[in-house]
Amino acid sequence: MGFMMTLSTILATLASPIAALAQSEAAHAASQEAGHAAEHVAHAAEKIEAIAAPGVGPMWLLLIPVLPLVGFVLSALCAAFRVKSKLPAWLTVLCLGASFAVTLGMYLQVSSGQIANPSVATGFEWIKVAWGAGDAHSIIANFGLYIDSLTCLWMLFVTGLATLIGLYASEYMAGDVGAGYCRFYAAFNLFVFSMSCLVMGDNLLLLYLGWEGVGLCSYLLIGYFYKKPSAVEAGKKAFIVNRIGDLGLALGLMLTAVHFGSIEYSVIFAKAQPYLAALSEGRLGDIPAVVQLIPVLLMIGAFGKSAQLPLYVWLPDAMEGPTPVSALIHAATMVTAGVYLVARAYPLFLLSETALPIVAWTGALTALLAATIGMAQFDIKRIMAYSTVSQLGYMFAGLGVLTSTGAAFHVFTHAFFKAMLFLSCGAVMHGFAGQLDLRKLSGVGSMPGWRVVGIAMLVGCLNLAGFPVITSGYWSKDMILGGAFANPHMVAIGWILLITAGLTAYYTFRVYFRVFVGPKYFEPGDEVHGHAGDDHGHDHGHDHAHADHGDRGHGHDAHAHFHPHAPGWAINTVLAILAVAAFAVIGLRFVGGHEGWVSGLIEHSSANYGGHAMYAAAASHGGEHAHATFFGYDAHQAMMYVSGVVGFIGIAVAFVLHYAGRTTAAKSRADALLPLVGPLAKWAQGKWYVDELYNAIIRVPLLVAAHVFHLIDKAIVDGIVDLFGWVPKFTGSSLRPSQSGVLHGYALSMAGGLAVLVLIVVMVMR
Amino acid sequence: MNMLASIPGVLDAAVLAQASAPAPMAQSQLAHYMFISAALFAIGLIGFLTRRNLIIMFLCTELMFQAAGVALIAFSRFHMNMTGQTFVIFILTVAAAEAAMALALVVLLFRRRESLNAEEFSEMKG
Amino acid sequence: MGCRVSVHGVSGFLLFLNPAGLMGIDAFINPYLFYGAVVLGGLGIAMALPRGGKTAQIVGAVVAALAGVLVLVGLGIKSVASLPNIYFYIFSAIGLGAAVRVISHPRPVYAALYFILTVLSSAGLFLLLSAEFMAMALIIVYAGAILITYLFVIMLATQAPSEARPEELAEYDTVAREPIAATTAGFVLLAVLTSLAFNGMSTLNPPPPGTPDSVLVQIPRKVERVLRGYQVIQKDEKVEGFNRVSGDGVAAIESVIVKNAEGKTREIAKEAWPEELRVRNVEQLGLNLLQDHPGSIEIAGVILLMAMLGAVVLSRRQVQIDEDAKRRHSQTLAETTPQAPGGAA
Repeated sequence: MGFMMTLSTILATLASPIAALAQSEAAHAASQEAGHAAEHVAHAAEKIEAIAAPGVGPMWLLLIPVLPLVGFVLSALCAAFRVKSKLPAWLTVLCLGASFAVTLGMYLQVSSGQIANPSVATGFEWIKVAWGAGDAHSIIANFGLYIDSLTCLWMLFVTGLATLIGLYASEYMAGDVGAGYCRFYAAFNLFVFSMSCLVMGDNLLLLYLGWEGVGLCSYLLIGYFYKKPSAVEAGKKAFIVNRIGDLGLALGLMLTAVHFGSIEYSVIFAKAQPYLAALSEGRLGDIPAVVQLIPVLLMIGAFGKSAQLPLYVWLPDAMEGPTPVSALIHAATMVTAGVYLVARAYPLFLLSETALPIVAWTGALTALLAATIGMAQFDIKRIMAYSTVSQLGYMFAGLGVLTSTGAAFHVFTHAFFKAMLFLSCGAVMHGFAGQLDLRKLSGVGSMPGWRVVGIAMLVGCLNLAGFPVITSGYWSKDMILGGAFANPHMVAIGWILLITAGLTAYYTFRVYFRVFVGPKYFEPGDEVHGHAGDDHGHDHGHDHAHADHGDRGHGHDAHAHFHPHAPGWAINTVLAILAVAAFAVIGLRFVGGHEGWVSGLIEHSSANYGGHAMYAAAASHGGEHAHATFFGYDAHQAMMYVSGVVGFIGIAVAFVLHYAGRTTAAKSRADALLPLVGPLAKWAQGKWYVDELYNAIIRVPLLVAAHVFHLIDKAIVDGIVDLFGWVPKFTGSSLRPSQSGVLHGYALSMAGGLAVLVLIVVMVMR
Repeated sequence: MNMLASIPGVLDAAVLAQASAPAPMAQSQLAHYMFISAALFAIGLIGFLTRRNLIIMFLCTELMFQAAGVALIAFSRFHMNMTGQTFVIFILTVAAAEAAMALALVVLLFRRRESLNAEEFSEMKG
Repeated sequence: MGCRVSVHGVSGFLLFLNPAGLMGIDAFINPYLFYGAVVLGGLGIAMALPRGGKTAQIVGAVVAALAGVLVLVGLGIKSVASLPNIYFYIFSAIGLGAAVRVISHPRPVYAALYFILTVLSSAGLFLLLSAEFMAMALIIVYAGAILITYLFVIMLATQAPSEARPEELAEYDTVAREPIAATTAGFVLLAVLTSLAFNGMSTLNPPPPGTPDSVLVQIPRKVERVLRGYQVIQKDEKVEGFNRVSGDGVAAIESVIVKNAEGKTREIAKEAWPEELRVRNVEQLGLNLLQDHPGSIEIAGVILLMAMLGAVVLSRRQVQIDEDAKRRHSQTLAETTPQAPGGAA
C-alpha cells in the first residue's frame, strides 16, 4: 500500500508539470488571439501614455500559481491515502521551491527586459459576460497574470518565504504527522495559490478570488487546532472582521466595473489617464465623485485584510494558529495584501483627495496604538502580532505620504525579519511546551542548542527596532519617516511615526532582554509533550500528545522532568537563512534606482504610476517646494540620524528596565515604574478595551436584537403559521371519526344526504 | 296462460294485458305504484343500513332494484312506451352481474375472517 | 360585507324553500295523513328490526302494516273513480310484507326466501301493468337464478351449527345497527321521493291514444300468417300494405291491403281481423329492444362477460386466513370439543 502510494505520488508529481506544459501549449494558441486584442488596446492607449500598454507574457509564468495548486492537490491526496509520514511537507517544499524558481526566472526576465513591463499572460478565459455591444456592456475577467515589477517584488518574497516556512513547519508540525499534517499543508499550498492569484491577477476579480482564498486559508489555519475553543473563536473572528473589509472591496470592484466598464488593470489605468492628466493640470473638478469614491471603498478592503485601525482586532487573536502560519500569513504575506492593493491601484488613489490622507492617518494611528498595546503585553507571540499591526500601519502611512517605494521596501524587509521573529518565537513555543509568557522564560539564548534561535531573535529584534545602519529595518523605516517629514502636509504623521519607532525599539528589546538573555530560567507551558521525560530528541511518535488533549495542570510538577526541546536542523536552517537574508536586503538599498533596488522596481510599476502628476499638482496647488524640511535639514538626510537615535534610546531604555540588574524571570525594574503611569499600563495591557468596546456597541445590540426578533418569530410568525397548521389539523381530527371504515356509516351519510337533497328539491320546486 | 286464465280475476288481468288497446292508465293509479315502489326502496335502504350480515345487505340492494323495476314498468305502462321495460332488462342484467361479483367477494371475505359481519372489514378507517 | 351577503344568501335560500312543496301531494292523498302514516311506518319498521325482543317486532310489524293500510286508503279516497285492481292491493301487501320480513328476519336463509316472495309479488304487479314478459323474466332470473346463488352462498358462508350451540345465531344477525338513524333516513327519503313523484305527476304528458297496432306495419309476415291461419285471406293472396288514418300522434291502422296472384287488391277492414291479430307484449318489447337499443344489448353482454370473468378470477384466489379468525376458530373448536380425560387421542 505504502509503495503504491509513493508510486502514485511520484507519478502525479512527474505528470503535473507535463500536464501544465501541455495546458500551456494549448492555451498558447488561445493567447495569440488575446495578444492581438491586447495589442489593439496598446495602440489605443499609446495616445494617452505608453506605460498603460501591457505586453504579452509567456505562458510558463502560469506555473507560479499552478505549482502551489499542484502541491495542494498532492497534499489532499496524501490525506486521502492516509499518509503518516512527512511526505506532504517535502512535496510542498518541492512545489513551492519550484514556484520560487519560476518567480526568480520571471524577475530576471522582467528586469532584463525579455518580458515587457508590464505584460499580461492570459491562461484561459474565465468569466465573460456581455449584455450588449461595446466595451461598456461586458465584463471580462480572464485567468490572466499581470506582470510588472511590483508583481515580481511581491511574488519573490511570497514564494521564497513560503518555501522556507514550509521547510520550517515540516519540523514544527511534526507532532501532528498524519491527517492534521496533510490538512495543514493542503491549506498552506492553497494559501500560496490564492496569494499568487491575488498578487498576479490581471483583473480585480481574480484579485478578489485570491483575496477570499487567502481569507479562507487564514480561517482554516487559525482554526487548525479546532478542538481548542479559543482557536475556533479566533478563526471566526478573523473571518467575520475580514468580511466587513471584503464588502468594501467588493463594492469598490463593482463601482470600478460600472464606471470604467472593465475590471482589468490595463484598461482601468488607460481610462484613468485623462483624470491623471486633469490632476496634474490642477483641474480637480474634472474628476467625478464616483472616481473619488472607488479608492475609499478599496481602502476599506485593504484595512480589513491588513488589520488597520477599525478592523485590526482579528490579527492578534489569529496567533492561535500554528506559528508558521502566523509567520507566513499573519506577518509576512497575507496581511500585506492591503498594502499591495493600495500600491496596485495607486493611480486610482491619487485621484481621490481624501483616500491617501485617510490611509496615512489610519496607518499612523494604528502604528501608535498597536505599539502602545505591544508594550504592555506579556505573551511574546502576541507582542509580535501587535508589532505586525504596528508595522503594517507604517506601510500604510508610507503609502499615504506618497512614498510608495518606502512602503514597498518596508513590506519586503519586514517580511523577512518579522517571519524570522515569529519563527524564533515559534521555536521557543515548540521547545518549551507552548510557553510564551516572558515572565516565565529567561536566558533562553544561552541554553544549549538555542544559540541559533537566540542569534536569529537578536537579528530580528535589531531589524524591528531599526538599529542604525546595519539593519534593513532601519533603512526601510527611515525611508517612510523621511517621506512623511518631506511631505509638508504630513509632518504630524512623521512625528507620530517617530514616537512609534521609539516605542517599537523598546518593546522589541523588552522581549529580547527578558527572554533570550539574563539568568537562565524557564517554566514549561501546559502543552506537556509525550516525550517530556526522556530526552529522545525529535523522534516523535504519532501518539505524541498535543496541546488540546495533553493533560493540563501538570505545571510545576512536570517541570522537574521537563527538558527544553531544542530546535532541529530544519528550524535552525531556516532561521539562519532568514537572518542572512535580513542583512542581505540592506544591500538592495544601494543597488538599482536612486533609492535602491525596490525603488527601481516600484518606479516601473503602477505603484508609482502618475506619482509625478501628483507632485506636480501639489506644487501647483501649494505653490511651495514639494519637499518640506526637518528643522531646516533635508528630511531624508535628517531622518537617518534622528531615527537611529530614537531606536537607540528605545533599546537603551529596554536595557535599563529589563536587563540590567534583573535576577529573576518574573520581575524587572520596569515593575517599579508601573505606579508612575497609573492605570495606563493596565489599560494598555487590556488592549485599550477595544474588543470590549466593539462587543458593547456592536455585538451586544445585535444579540439583543436577535433575541427580540427570535421572540417575535416564535410568538407571532410561528404562531400564525401554527394557526394555519392547526386549523386543518383540528378539522381533520374532528372529522376523522366519521371515516370509521364501516360500510354502514358511509351508506347512512349517502342516504341521509340524498334525503336532504331531495327534500330541498321538493321544497324549491314549488 | 291457460292456467292463469282458469283463475277468475287473473283472467281479468290477462285480458287487460292482452287487450288490443289497453285502457289508458289514470294518474292516480300511477301514484299507487309510485308509492309502492318508494316504500319498497325505503325498506331496502333501511335494511342495507341496519343489517350487518353482508349477504343480507346485498339482498337489500336487490330489493332496491325491485323498487326501481316496479317504477320503470309503471311508467312504461303509463306512457305506453316499451323503453321502460327494456330498461328493466338491463336492471336484471346488472343485478345478475352484481350478484355474481358480490357473492364471489363475500365468499372471499368470509374465508379470510370466518365472519360475515360487515363491521369487521374496517381497515379503511381514517 | 361579504359575510352579510352570504348570510342574506343563506337566509334567502331558506326562505325560498317553502313547505308548500311538501303539501303539493294533496291531489293524490291528504298530506297530513300521508306524513303521519310515514312517521308511523318509520316507528313500526324501527321496532320491527331485529333487536332481540320478539314482541316488539310483532308490534312494529303491525304498526307498519297499519301505516301502509292508511296510505293506501288515503290514496284510494282521492281516486275512487279509478281504483286499481284488487290484485294490486294483494300483491302490494304481500310484496311489502315480505320485504319487511327480509330486513327483519335474523336468519339469512329465511330472508332470502322472503325475498323470493317479494320477487313473485312484484312479478304479479308487472302482470297487472301488462308487462307479462318482464314478469316471467323476473321470476326466472331472480327467483330462479340469482336467489339460488344467494342461497348457495349463504350455505357456504355460514358456520355449521355445532353440537354445543346448535341453534345459535351470530350476534351480527340478531342485532340491527343504528335502527333509529337508518329508519329516519329511509323514511325521510320515502316521504320526499313520494312527494317528488306526486308533485311531478301533473307535468307528465298524457298517455298517447292506445294504438299499439301501428307496430303491425313492421311485422307484415305475422299479419299474413295470422290472416291466412284464420282463412281471412286466400292462399294466393299476400299482404300488400296498410291503410292508415293519421290521427293525433301515431297513425292508426284502418285496414290491411292484400293482393292476389292476379294482382287484384282488396282491403280487409279492422273489424274483420281475427282476435289473434294483435301485437303482443313480447313482440313490442323485442322490437323496442332490437330496433331502438341494439348498442345497449351489446353493453349488457359485455357486463355479463366481465362479471363472469371477475367471478372466476376472484374465486380462484387463495385467501390467507386472518390470525384473528384462526384464533377464534381454534377457540371455538376448543370449546366444542369435549376434553378427553386420558389425553391420548
